Amino acid sequence: MTTHTDPPEGTRADGDDERLPCGRPLSQVWDDWERQVSDPHSATCPHCRHAVRDLEQLETAVAGLREETPETSAYDAEPLTRRVMDLVRLELRPGRPLPLGEPAEDLWIMETVAARALRSAAESVEGVSAGSCRIVDADGPAAGVEVRLDIHAPAHVGLQELAERVRRRVREAADRELGMVIASVDIRVTDLVDSGAENREGDTA
Amino acid sequence: MAGARRLTAPPDAGHDTGDTLLVVRAAEGDEDAFAALVQGHAPVLIRLATRLLGTVAEAEDAVQDAFLSAWRRLPEFHGQASFATWMYRIVTNRCLNVLRARRPVVPLEAAGEMPAAEHATSPARITEARDAVRELREALDLLSAEQRACWVLRELDGRSYEFIADAVGISQEAVRARVFRARRCLTQALGAWR
Repeated sequence: MTTHTDPPEGTRADGDDERLPCGRPLSQVWDDWERQVSDPHSATCPHCRHAVRDLEQLETAVAGLREETPETSAYDAEPLTRRVMDLVRLELRPGRPLPLGEPAEDLWIMETVAARALRSAAESVEGVSAGSCRIVDADGPAAGVEVRLDIHAPAHVGLQELAERVRRRVREAADRELGMVIASVDIRVTDLVDSGAENREGDTA
Repeated sequence: MAGARRLTAPPDAGHDTGDTLLVVRAAEGDEDAFAALVQGHAPVLIRLATRLLGTVAEAEDAVQDAFLSAWRRLPEFHGQASFATWMYRIVTNRCLNVLRARRPVVPLEAAGEMPAAEHATSPARITEARDAVRELREALDLLSAEQRACWVLRELDGRSYEFIADAVGISQEAVRARVFRARRCLTQALGAWR
């Protein structure tokens, strides 16, 4: 064949290719097969058909091999998760300490630990999921800390009122669970979630 | 902890919006959020690594290392890709390193020398098919680490050339070349006993 002067997409000129006796590069024949294109030559040429047959035989074995890997649903991820988390908990991640209690008390808590309690408090409001929770020192010696909390809120709910409830829960938790003085709670709604019948927690106090 | 129940999200359901929160929280050091990500993404990654490496035991080691590395790098992960894609890339690269360390590269020519005479006489078609699968599994060891990775992602995991190029960090042309070479090596290996 001399009609194919332009190398088709995917043909490489790396010297690794092989030219069939009919003149076509093996790579082209297999590319065509993979893209399911054919032309009069490939349909009748015994060399091309032989090359395709080789690949089809390989594909049959491949299909068998593919089936050998068990379904992902059959994999129990619990033990692996436990092992990973055991290692994760050994990792020392540098975190920021935050002041607790009175300025003179010299008592501190890591930001990640405080954030966990505050996110959890925010999520006690029905339909709320907490994301980023940053806690920073407010200005002034006795000013306490500023909380910046991102939440996903349920759609079709008054956001002002919802934010106020989240703020209240966060302040309560900071006060009761942590003894942390909060200067302000900034709430940013980063998504509205149309929760069908899923999140039913019955906590609307 | 009020949020704990929701954190154990269904694995294959809504990776998008559920993951967004989990990833942000994990990046800020929330271990429970990271545990939920591990639990949810492990099955797919284990399947990938098993296909790349050949055994579940090796796959588990590789995926475990990949998750630990992800935990360390999460603060710098800003969601350019989805968490799933990001993890896929980390696991692929981890497996590539394992494959590279595993073997001295066998030259392609060796593919023609597969010992297989005993199978040639096998009468039943079913046995033949099963033999072909086993031959194929053995022949995978003839591939270079890069050929094997590209071929597995393409043929067993059904990924596009574009996706593979991104996951392995090479050009699409290079991926195509490796898949081609892998196919040639494997067809020769399978042909050797026919």
